Amino acid sequence: MGRLYERLCEDLRCLEGLKSCMNCGVCTAICPSAEFYRYDPRKICDTVQRADDESIEQLLKSDTIWYCGECMSCKTRCPRGNTPGLLIMALRKLSQEMGYFTDSEKGRQQFAIRRVIGDSILTTGYCMRPILVNPANHPEQGPVWEWVYNNLPEVMDKVGANYLKDGPGALRRIAPEVLSEINQIFQVTGGQDFFQLIEEFSKDKADEMCLDAGELGGDNAYFSEVYTKNSGNHH
Amino acid sequence: MNKTIVIVGGGPAGLEAAAALGSSPHHVLILEKEHNTGGKLKNWHHLFPNFADASEILKSLEKSLPLNNSEIKYDCDVFKMEQMDGNLLVSLKSGEKIKADAVLLATGFDLFDAYKKEEYGHGIYKNVITSSELEGMFVNNSFPDQLKDGLPKKIAMVHCVGSRDKKAGNMHCSKLCCITGVKQAIELRKYLSKSSVYNFYMDLRMYGQHFEELYQEAQEDYGVNFIRGRVSEIAEISDGKLQVKAEDTLSGRPMKMIFDLVVLLIGMTPATSAASIAQSLALPKSGSGFLAPVHQHISANETCIPGLFLAGTCREPLSLQESITDARAAALKIIEWLKLKDNH
Repeated sequence: MGRLYERLCEDLRCLEGLKSCMNCGVCTAICPSAEFYRYDPRKICDTVQRADDESIEQLLKSDTIWYCGECMSCKTRCPRGNTPGLLIMALRKLSQEMGYFTDSEKGRQQFAIRRVIGDSILTTGYCMRPILVNPANHPEQGPVWEWVYNNLPEVMDKVGANYLKDGPGALRRIAPEVLSEINQIFQVTGGQDFFQLIEEFSKDKADEMCLDAGELGGDNAYFSEVYTKNSGNHH
Repeated sequence: MNKTIVIVGGGPAGLEAAAALGSSPHHVLILEKEHNTGGKLKNWHHLFPNFADASEILKSLEKSLPLNNSEIKYDCDVFKMEQMDGNLLVSLKSGEKIKADAVLLATGFDLFDAYKKEEYGHGIYKNVITSSELEGMFVNNSFPDQLKDGLPKKIAMVHCVGSRDKKAGNMHCSKLCCITGVKQAIELRKYLSKSSVYNFYMDLRMYGQHFEELYQEAQEDYGVNFIRGRVSEIAEISDGKLQVKAEDTLSGRPMKMIFDLVVLLIGMTPATSAASIAQSLALPKSGSGFLAPVHQHISANETCIPGLFLAGTCREPLSLQESITDARAAALKIIEWLKLKDNH
């Protein structure tokens, strides 16, 4: 037992998610991510269960913990009532707090998520808005999306959204007092500090990689690196 | 003074206990809920680990039933018991009440209802059957036509169905499904010689005499395959073929395999027929709901109710051999207890 294992045990999701594993593999057999990635939730449970800090540190620094889609299929099947998906959440949190996430390609993407979704929540009240799905960064969306993207106000009107306007309806502008409340919640609950931590660790990594991370948004070399880099070693 | 001993259940444990009590002067009354004795043994073909003929064993159990002091009542549903002046009053659904000096519960077990594991598709896909249904096919020689066309078949045996499973409400290990899976895999290889059989297991608990040897025989002489991984789900694809998903945990990769037939090795669960009796006497139960004796090690056949004894699988999953031994032990305890009762 060690420091990392003890910290994991402080996380309720770890306590709830992993009571005892008998390595039956039913979680891996049902896991959509295991079908796609080099990913095995059973092995993760086994690693944590062994309480060996060296292996846990390796896990926290690896791509592995970032492959899970948190669909929680594993919860539906485990004969011991474990939830590997919850364990993953605890591992991710610890990896973020320790700064280990910058050691892996998939982990470094936390930076992009913080800059895109994190900022979006604090500045607009939405996790995701259509304007964030830039066709240049998302070729997989195809030409129809590109057309929608270029004609957003008109398309939104057509589908009955109240796009960026005051009053009720989908995709409305969030009122400033509500937005300020959201920001306060993030302040009080430690969400802001957590975002700041991701920023700091990511900037250190950017320096190490001799890439500029900018102060805001995705218009910088480090963002582009983490957003587009694919070693092709994930399957 | 001669006493009345009531045995609830005319399966192997009940029959053996009655035989063992044959030398006593007491009157033994077996209350059987079905039309005939034998319990689940009468639906079994051959037994592990030596392929003994189940019907022969049943015949010899029935033959050893003493004629002078024992009696069997069929179609008897016992639903209640109460303590009365040091005796037990046994109530049948028919309204009849029987006063007993001692009662032996030999109510046996239920087979796990595989439909509860919906993800395995029993009762949904026609080619998903249980181990008990497979025995029935051997007994009646009634294999489905699609298995008899002479073409090579792929068959999966799924272990731990309804055992070692919090989701199914059964944390216990039924302990006999492992060896049953090995035995039935060999029988399938003998019966369908071109078939290949794959056992999906978590652990193979070969605890009994000659179990491990049979496992080795299955691998070496019959080419039975063993994959270490619990099956997550089964889906019908086309032509009634079944896709089985599991992780091969030894290579650490998830896999999907296609089979013609899937056999679910269903475990033992507490008999529902004993539930109302246990309730009427507030009899303690173990975690999985089997009837609990006073002491697992030294008083395994005795209960906290004076004059009430347990034998066989109403207490815990046991093999036939163990049930029979257990019944004899219970019979001895009953004789001792009646002697004590006489002296008071």
